[in-house]
Amino acid sequence: MREISVSVNGRVRKRLIKDNELLLDFLRDRLEVRSVKAACWRGECGLCVVKLGDSLVKSCLVLAVEADGKEVRTVEGIAPEGELAPIQKAFVERGAAQCGFCTPAWVLATHELLQTNPHPSEAELAEATGGLICRCGTYNQIREAVADVSGTKTARHAKERLPRALSG
Amino acid sequence: MSFGSPYVTLPDFTYHKPKSLEEALGLLKEYGDEAKVMGGGVGLIAFMKERLMSPTHVIDVKDLKELKQVSHVPGKGLSVGAAVTLADLLESGVLGGGYAVLGEAVARIADPMIRRRATLVGNVCEAIPWVDSPPALIALDASVEIVGPGTKRSMPVSGFIRGPVDVDLAPDEIVTSIIVPDAKGRVSAFEKFTGGSEFSLASVAVSLSEEGKNRVAKVVYGAVNSTPVRSSEVEGIVSQGLTPANARKAAEAAAHTVECLDDVLASSAYRKHLLRVITTKVLGRMMER
Repeated sequence: MREISVSVNGRVRKRLIKDNELLLDFLRDRLEVRSVKAACWRGECGLCVVKLGDSLVKSCLVLAVEADGKEVRTVEGIAPEGELAPIQKAFVERGAAQCGFCTPAWVLATHELLQTNPHPSEAELAEATGGLICRCGTYNQIREAVADVSGTKTARHAKERLPRALSG
Repeated sequence: MSFGSPYVTLPDFTYHKPKSLEEALGLLKEYGDEAKVMGGGVGLIAFMKERLMSPTHVIDVKDLKELKQVSHVPGKGLSVGAAVTLADLLESGVLGGGYAVLGEAVARIADPMIRRRATLVGNVCEAIPWVDSPPALIALDASVEIVGPGTKRSMPVSGFIRGPVDVDLAPDEIVTSIIVPDAKGRVSAFEKFTGGSEFSLASVAVSLSEEGKNRVAKVVYGAVNSTPVRSSEVEGIVSQGLTPANARKAAEAAAHTVECLDDVLASSAYRKHLLRVITTKVLGRMMER
């Protein structure tokens, strides 16, 4: 066991860990950051994505000890307590979640994309989120949510394309 | 909540983070085949979960300054350090011109989050048949630089990869960089077919260069056999010139002469069909340049 110190969403957390512990398990089990989901454990689904330093990484492929002295950001840390980031509001408005299991990963990844590229094309969005899977298939609503925030239009963006019951 | 199950947990090991290459080599000398070097960790962590590897010591070299260099020296070539991630490599902007085959291969490996961690040297050292960069490196005549305790050697990537997950590296050695000879004057391109997953079912890397009066072609197929396969038949046709007729001949030659494996991902017959398709596509793109 060794002690590591990680800044998670701006708060320094110290814990004893084992060398073979994954960052994913450290965040979920030791710090109870439950927005970070464990699903495939092999880097394919992307639902354990976190920002480590300046980069989005899949935390099932990172050792906890590698985060020692570094900053980790999860979806809980993208807006001040009690507030929503623009992309979170857009997800709500567009209904860009179905079962919701993958939603924290998508919100974090699209939020980070919009920070570095405020007007991503659909191809840039697809490339940036190529490592994420939504089994419910909310990809179209996610594209619309991102387009709402970036002020661009998607091919499926027009409101009249929604069934009348949903278009309000 | 890992349920104590394999596949999601890692075997017990001691983590080391050396501060210099020398210290890393010292650790390797001390622990030998009980140790594994970790670059990006993508391959190693996956292998450890599957218990295909259970090192008792993991030596993390990802932050070693001397391994983080990417440099292009005109006339000499490109040097990519062992701790350079695929994302770093793409962002360095060095993969244009004759190196296009490598740029195209790396840009389509996995996804941006994986490319943030995975390294080019790691790609080569894990030697997984469907990883795309080795065929591109072999088409460009790249070699690996290896250091050991008081030793230094260089080896072509083609000979370094001996089989699936099998490379010519002693337990006390470490690959420090990949050297790609200057590709000025080369034309090169990469194509692959993935069938919707992130893994290639077939890939092709082509490089064409002029050596004196001769046109030299390198054509390397990936993901169809246990190691990248060069095809002298296809190379012979392509070196006669990039024409639509030669492209058709090359595609047929690929399908008829390149040995393809039957496995759970694809049948041999399907892979041969894919070779025809990707050979046609890659040569078509090269003709447009």
